[in-house]
Amino acid sequence: MTEGTILKWFVAEGAQIREGEPFFEVETDKLTLVVDSHHTGTVLKLLAGVGDAVPVMNPIAIIGNAGEDISGLLPQSPILPEKITESVPVVESVTASSRETRFAGDSGERILNGKFVTPRARKIARETNISIADIAKSFTGSKISSRDVLAFAETEKNRVKASPVAQRMADEKGIDLASVKKDGGRIMKADVSAALLRGTSSGRGEKLVPFTGMRKVIASRMLESQSEMAQTHNRIRVDVSELVALREKLAEGGIKVSYNDILVRLVSRVLREFPYVNASWTVEGILLHEYVNMGIAVGLDEGLVVPVLRDADTLTLAEIALQGGALVQAAREGSLSPDDFSEGTFTLSNLGMFDTEEFVAIVNPPQAAILAVGSIIRQPVADDAGDVVVKPMMTLTLSYDHRIVDGAVAAKFLQRLKQLIRNPLLVY
Amino acid sequence: MTVKTYYNAIATVLAEEMRRDPAVFVMGEDIAEGGGTFSCTKGLLEEFGRNRVRNTPISECGFVGMSLGAAICGLRPVVELMFLDFACNAMDQIINQISKARYMSGGTVKVPLVLRGPQGGWRGKAAQHSQSLETLYMHVPGLKVVCPSSPYNVAGLLRASIRSDDPVIFCEHKNLIPVKGEVPDDPEFLIPLGKADVVRQGKDVTVIASLMCVHFALEVAEKMAKEGISVEVIDVRTLVPLDKATVLESVRKTGRAVVAHEAVKFCGWGSEISSIIMEEAFEYLDAPVARVGAKYCPIPYAKELEDEALPSVADIEQAIRRVLS
Amino acid sequence: MVRIRKFEELTEVFFSQGRFRGTVHPYIGQEAIGSTVISNLEEGDYVGSTHRGHGHTIAIGCETKKMLAEMLGKENGLCRGRGGSMHMQDFSRGYLGQNGIVGGGVAMTTGAALAAQIKGTKQVAVAFYGEGASNQGVVHETMNMASIWKLPMIFVCENNQFGVTTRVDKSTSVRDISVRAKAYEMAGTTVDGRSVIQVEEAIQEALRRARSGEGPTLIEAKCFRWLGHYFGDNEPTRTREEVEAEKKKDPIQMHKSVLLSEKFATEAQLTSIEGEVEEEIKQAIAFAEAGPAPDPRSVTDAVFCEPVSL
Repeated sequence: MTEGTILKWFVAEGAQIREGEPFFEVETDKLTLVVDSHHTGTVLKLLAGVGDAVPVMNPIAIIGNAGEDISGLLPQSPILPEKITESVPVVESVTASSRETRFAGDSGERILNGKFVTPRARKIARETNISIADIAKSFTGSKISSRDVLAFAETEKNRVKASPVAQRMADEKGIDLASVKKDGGRIMKADVSAALLRGTSSGRGEKLVPFTGMRKVIASRMLESQSEMAQTHNRIRVDVSELVALREKLAEGGIKVSYNDILVRLVSRVLREFPYVNASWTVEGILLHEYVNMGIAVGLDEGLVVPVLRDADTLTLAEIALQGGALVQAAREGSLSPDDFSEGTFTLSNLGMFDTEEFVAIVNPPQAAILAVGSIIRQPVADDAGDVVVKPMMTLTLSYDHRIVDGAVAAKFLQRLKQLIRNPLLVY
Repeated sequence: MTVKTYYNAIATVLAEEMRRDPAVFVMGEDIAEGGGTFSCTKGLLEEFGRNRVRNTPISECGFVGMSLGAAICGLRPVVELMFLDFACNAMDQIINQISKARYMSGGTVKVPLVLRGPQGGWRGKAAQHSQSLETLYMHVPGLKVVCPSSPYNVAGLLRASIRSDDPVIFCEHKNLIPVKGEVPDDPEFLIPLGKADVVRQGKDVTVIASLMCVHFALEVAEKMAKEGISVEVIDVRTLVPLDKATVLESVRKTGRAVVAHEAVKFCGWGSEISSIIMEEAFEYLDAPVARVGAKYCPIPYAKELEDEALPSVADIEQAIRRVLS
Repeated sequence: MVRIRKFEELTEVFFSQGRFRGTVHPYIGQEAIGSTVISNLEEGDYVGSTHRGHGHTIAIGCETKKMLAEMLGKENGLCRGRGGSMHMQDFSRGYLGQNGIVGGGVAMTTGAALAAQIKGTKQVAVAFYGEGASNQGVVHETMNMASIWKLPMIFVCENNQFGVTTRVDKSTSVRDISVRAKAYEMAGTTVDGRSVIQVEEAIQEALRRARSGEGPTLIEAKCFRWLGHYFGDNEPTRTREEVEAEKKKDPIQMHKSVLLSEKFATEAQLTSIEGEVEEEIKQAIAFAEAGPAPDPRSVTDAVFCEPVSL
């Protein structure tokens, strides 16, 4: 790999990031991947923009403490290798650059990447909706004038926009970029690949779905989970008549809760009693959390996301219903932020609404366990007297990392959960 | 149209205006039998007699002051200053009296006089006879200032100045005196004061110039056209009132401007034009306005020194290239 | 003369009340010259005056009410508040006006004489100036030109002995300024500026000469200004005794006694003139005080005949 193209920043300048959180997505000639942050801190500066092709070993972001002076770290010309020969004023510090370019009535940059922008250039750029930043990226002179803006507009109009990787691929395979279909945005490698395939297929055959960021994340994390842990599972079947009754009673009183909400309440309680089931694996040791951040698995069309309901063990059932509902809604709308996915200590996954009776979920690393909830089936069971009765039964499967949680612990956890399910009032 | 010299154009207009309006009379040194040091009043004595062709003693302050009185009383004096530098002898009359008479009277009197004379260098006349002081007169409210760059312009502008009811400082150029050019024969041919002339159209840079610098600018424009650079040249023609609109329209089109004049660059009127452009067309600029003017020194006698002190074709070209870079 | 005296006395009061801007130069003591010379002129004749010219302004017929309004800077002033005390002017009366530059109006007035000559009329131009101005170069230039061209010009030099603080014997190389007429081959005469009779003789002869084409005259009228150069001048080079002695030779009193003794007028007539003037002054005050202040937005009006925006 000699260079990568930044596709997306997950964290904005000025925001906090934690080690291990997704930081940016980058496309290389081999693949597209999400890169997690290796550090915890404040993102002080993003040195590359979306769409920028950065040579390897080039700094692309600065993480530090808020307010730190990083002027010494800022490269003269972070992306482009040219030197500035004329003495033009150069951006000296982060705060200066973000402050000085705004001017009443002026919507353009005055000095950008060390290049001076003339008033006329800014005016024309504003009128033709061109970003001076775009011009500055590939501009080799030291002063951008109106002429340069007009020339840029002209070439932009005619140019087919493609990422460097896509461009290279198209060149290699002899594809005319103009023929590659793309609704808005730049042509990426995936588009070229698709075009290639479209060209060779007879109509019925394969459809190649390019990897999205989410799919990639899911794929890598699932694989990681199964390959890095000693993962196994325990199963238990529970009579949920009391949950049904509780839910109905609350509904009569105008309080709507789901079985999942009730389970979150009960599971959170049990987790406080079984700290190792609520733990995280770290290189230094097993981290026992004194709080329960309940991950709630939500299936979207694009894939699986697990928003986290923080401090679920301190919330009332009503609060769980409300906040949990909001989280799920937001997940469906795609309006969650990276914070909403972070710091989960346990995950609850429910496929009951799809009639799945039981399933084995994959643990969400670095968590210790995940509870898979199946559908409620009215089944004939033998009661204590030995008679056959029909009861609403639910199968719960706990998958767990046997490095942290032993089989007996898992069993006892489920047993305790079953106890609470059969008598929810015990939770108080 | 007739081809005339600059001085002949002046003499013709003076005669035509004196014929047309008995209130017009001329006053100055050696203008009678001498016909004027630069032959600008040739033939007037013979046609109009001593009453209206007043050959004066060497008393600029006196006769310039008298022209004010005559103008207030309804005549239209055209006063020749042998060299416009000599107006300095009459500074009190020009600055304290002529420019202010109308205003101080509350607008009741008018002062329809013309003070005309040659200014400028390149003739080896040295410091006291080669100045370009039009900026001084521009700065005093109440004086119109005109600078004709060709026989065509001098004819049209002199007529307009004589017919104007306001005092006009008419800045001719001694180097243009023998220059020939086409002049309309129409005795009513008049160029209104306050109208600049786009003498050459262009789209890459605007040069705003007067008198000799107009000709220099045209020479540079012709040369640079071969390089594919299109220079627009504007001859201001009148400095007060200034044709701001033409200048700004041109700069908005080209985005780059150079002002070229023979006045000393420091505090020369190029500064005013530059400021106007900056204030009213800043957004349209691709480069700061460049000014070309004489160096900060009295005009020297030796040719090499005089040429160095005064603005040249090369100076204008350099300025144009600078704003284009 | 009475009008001039009373007007100037009023301005002294107003000035001490701080109602005038800038400086005011009173004509008190010199009334005989201005009024006599100007009253002998005919309609169409031109007069040019000085900074100390309220006397001339009144003599040529400008209304005191408009003069006062002008000094108060009002729109209904003689010059719409644009000129002020030193720049009174009314060309409709042939009055080229006062001038703030010493000797500044002499050339202009000579120009009026030139205009008369060019036009071929019988108009005459009279330029007033002081003995201090007589040393200005431009005055010599214009006397020379008036002489060579035989312009219908009268130079009236009001020699009040003092140029601000400088006595004439310290500033002027000749004792009688009229001598300078000889240097320019002009007629010249010296008279007592306090005497209406003397002044009148001189002006009438000068007018005759001018109108007949014989050329210019220089009349030197020796006089004394009772007050300082300007209101507020502490007069360091004059003694109180000197001033008091001069005040005893009041031209108005002198003329009054002449009129009465020669029976040209009665006591009653003279008193009623004074009464009329006092009434006029009162009305002038009312008129001037009622006048509107000029609109600041009109400040750049009337710079040129054809308005420009610069």
